[in-house]
Amino acid sequence: MKIPAFTLPAPLARLGAHLPQLPPTLALVGGLNLALDRVLPRDTLEPLTGKRLLLKVTDAGMALRFTLTPRGFRPLFDGRAPDLTISATTRDYLALALREEDPDTLFFSRRLLMEGETDLGLLVKNTLDAVDWDSLGTQLARFRLPLPTGLHTPAGGH
Amino acid sequence: MTSPRPIELVCPAGSLPALKTAIDHGADCVYLGFKDATNARNFSGLNFDDKAMAEGVRYAHDRGRKVLLTLNTYPQTDNWQRWTGAVDRAAAFGIDAVILADPGLMAYARKAHPGLRLHLSVQGSATSYDAINFYHEHFGISRAVLPRVLSLAQVEQVIANTPVEIEVFGFGGLCVMVEGRCALSAYATGESPNCDGACSPGKHVRWEQTPKGMETRLNGILIDRFADGERAGYPTLCKGRFEVNDETYYAIEEPTSLNTLELLPELARIGVRAIKIEGRQRSPAYVSQVTQVWRAAIDRVLAGPAEPFRVEPAWMAELNKVSEGQSHTLGAYYRPWK
Amino acid sequence: MKIALGPLLYYWPRQSTLAFYADMADAPVDVVYLGETVCSRRHELRLPDWLEVAEILTAAGKEVVLSSQVLVESESDLKTLRRIVSNGNFRVEANDMGAVRLLSSGDAPARNWIAGPTLNIFNPTTLDLFADLGATRWVAPPEMSRAQIAALRDGLGHDMEVEIFAHGRLPLAYSARCFTARHYNLQKDTCEFRCLEFADGIPLKTREGAPFLTLNGIQTQSAQVHTLLGDLPAVCAEGVDLLRVSPQGAHTPEILQLFRQALDGLIPPADALHEALPLLPAEPCNGFWHGRPGVEQRVPS
Repeated sequence: MKIPAFTLPAPLARLGAHLPQLPPTLALVGGLNLALDRVLPRDTLEPLTGKRLLLKVTDAGMALRFTLTPRGFRPLFDGRAPDLTISATTRDYLALALREEDPDTLFFSRRLLMEGETDLGLLVKNTLDAVDWDSLGTQLARFRLPLPTGLHTPAGGH
Repeated sequence: MTSPRPIELVCPAGSLPALKTAIDHGADCVYLGFKDATNARNFSGLNFDDKAMAEGVRYAHDRGRKVLLTLNTYPQTDNWQRWTGAVDRAAAFGIDAVILADPGLMAYARKAHPGLRLHLSVQGSATSYDAINFYHEHFGISRAVLPRVLSLAQVEQVIANTPVEIEVFGFGGLCVMVEGRCALSAYATGESPNCDGACSPGKHVRWEQTPKGMETRLNGILIDRFADGERAGYPTLCKGRFEVNDETYYAIEEPTSLNTLELLPELARIGVRAIKIEGRQRSPAYVSQVTQVWRAAIDRVLAGPAEPFRVEPAWMAELNKVSEGQSHTLGAYYRPWK
Repeated sequence: MKIALGPLLYYWPRQSTLAFYADMADAPVDVVYLGETVCSRRHELRLPDWLEVAEILTAAGKEVVLSSQVLVESESDLKTLRRIVSNGNFRVEANDMGAVRLLSSGDAPARNWIAGPTLNIFNPTTLDLFADLGATRWVAPPEMSRAQIAALRDGLGHDMEVEIFAHGRLPLAYSARCFTARHYNLQKDTCEFRCLEFADGIPLKTREGAPFLTLNGIQTQSAQVHTLLGDLPAVCAEGVDLLRVSPQGAHTPEILQLFRQALDGLIPPADALHEALPLLPAEPCNGFWHGRPGVEQRVPS
């Protein structure tokens, strides 16, 4: 596996690390909140506020419902219709997070599905693409983010 | 036989990581835009704020590469200042050239920033040397990007009759219409590439799983319907399936990408000065994959007759992988396509 | 307020075309735009034929303008363009920047040409620039709204006639590819001139059967017929100088008559629209004028 020179995005790293132990929605929301402001610009994500987001991990049978509030990401516990649904497999989410796969490529081949308000999906995609892990690397190290074994990358390596 | 003139590889950057990836993998120039309607990829979360712009320009210039700024939409009366302001900001950031389409804006740029290099955007719809020379004579443009409508022989004819450098699209999403001459998106959604910087904008797109398959709608208009497992394309309305005389098919264009890799030696021979890779809306992963292939191919051509050019199957495989529809076409360069 | 007949966007047989323009000599139209603007392969009428039609219409008291081709690709396209520009008799509508260059340069630059709708002139700075180069009339891009046209006009430093696209299927896009030939699995170079069979182009529907677009060779039009008949009070209030009516397969003279009568106050605009509906090849729309998606039909306020 080719591993690029940046650390794994925090939310997915935490998700991956904690899948067996914690309710995954809490892990996801916790990870996102850790990233918010530090890695993910809050003003850019503002349009997500109050929107019902559903992340489906198809092979794991998981459906993570959450939203963005002025005080950060929060899980949602009811089953009301989401504004945006994103579906993919664990493997493809990880490949996306590692920037080994291009989301549009996965989308063309129907491995990444997006339903509902497409613009929200584009916003999420483009915001994640714009995170400059290279320059954040040292900054993030200070937060001692737990990374799953085997996904650590040597700084500066390509 | 002499070695061909250098060809610049011009790569897309929708974000700072994409810019760095492009530079790291051998782009001679990157092109990018501000976060607003002044450029033709005005998508949520995409493009550069001031901080990213400053860092991007520094990153490129430290490595001896160029940064081109797209300001290629058409300003209206009531938002004119935003576009002139963008030209001023480009100059202040030390951008190497601005890519413009509006003649009024070119006149402004020339007067306010005489040292700023001007490129004519593909949105300017200039398809003949007379059109290109018009912009050269009045605004001193140094380069023109050709719409994807001309055959190789026609491109050669243009180059032979203009002092302006010619840039052509080499790879990426294929706009089947003459750029700058398409109001299909405005007709369906009220927003157009010309004025709003977006074709089939995301906020009008809905994907929905239905009993008949995955449907995609643009402002309520059914663009296409996909069976399970069937490959999807962008929800751009020219790449949907429609009914014409009771036949349902891709009436305008299939979801496919332009790929002119095999024409590279010819493009070099006729004097094309730069190859543009489409895809500012794509991820850094795409930029990395496509830049590597085109860098290798251009280097092979520039090596001259000592090393005959041939398209490596691995190059094509890599490019097809990231193509819309995982297929490619020579577009207008290949006459039967028309 | 003048009524202008836009260039014929479809490809009709020679006799139909000549008969159509013979009718125009008697129709209530002030300005007639002539020539092939869409596809260089269309040759039922060649430039000398168009010039002949121009003479007849001039003799009938019409102002005649020669329209240049929108998409110029080959050296032979440029040759035709040069002949149009140097015709010496008739004003020219420039539909690409090559035409602008030829009109505004040389020993005797033209001082009264028309800036066509495909030049993408959206702001007063740009239009003033073309005025300096000799343009005296501007045809607004069809996608511009009433408010945008008014704002541009207010900011203009020159006197300039303003013409808007007031009736007809909207010319929305141009391509190197011919969609009519594609429909018949033919190549453009050997298209068998299938466009001749469709006086109003080929309708394209969504997979739900809703009319959406019209295929007209390399041009794509709306399926709906953009018409401002019902909006004439607002159009007149905006101080527009000319209304462009685009030729349709049938009933163009009646449409022109309805515009003239409504403009002269002989019939209320709403009634004129009502009378026009059965004469249209499809449903009406007017969204662009109202700053909305072009496909929408807004009830005039």
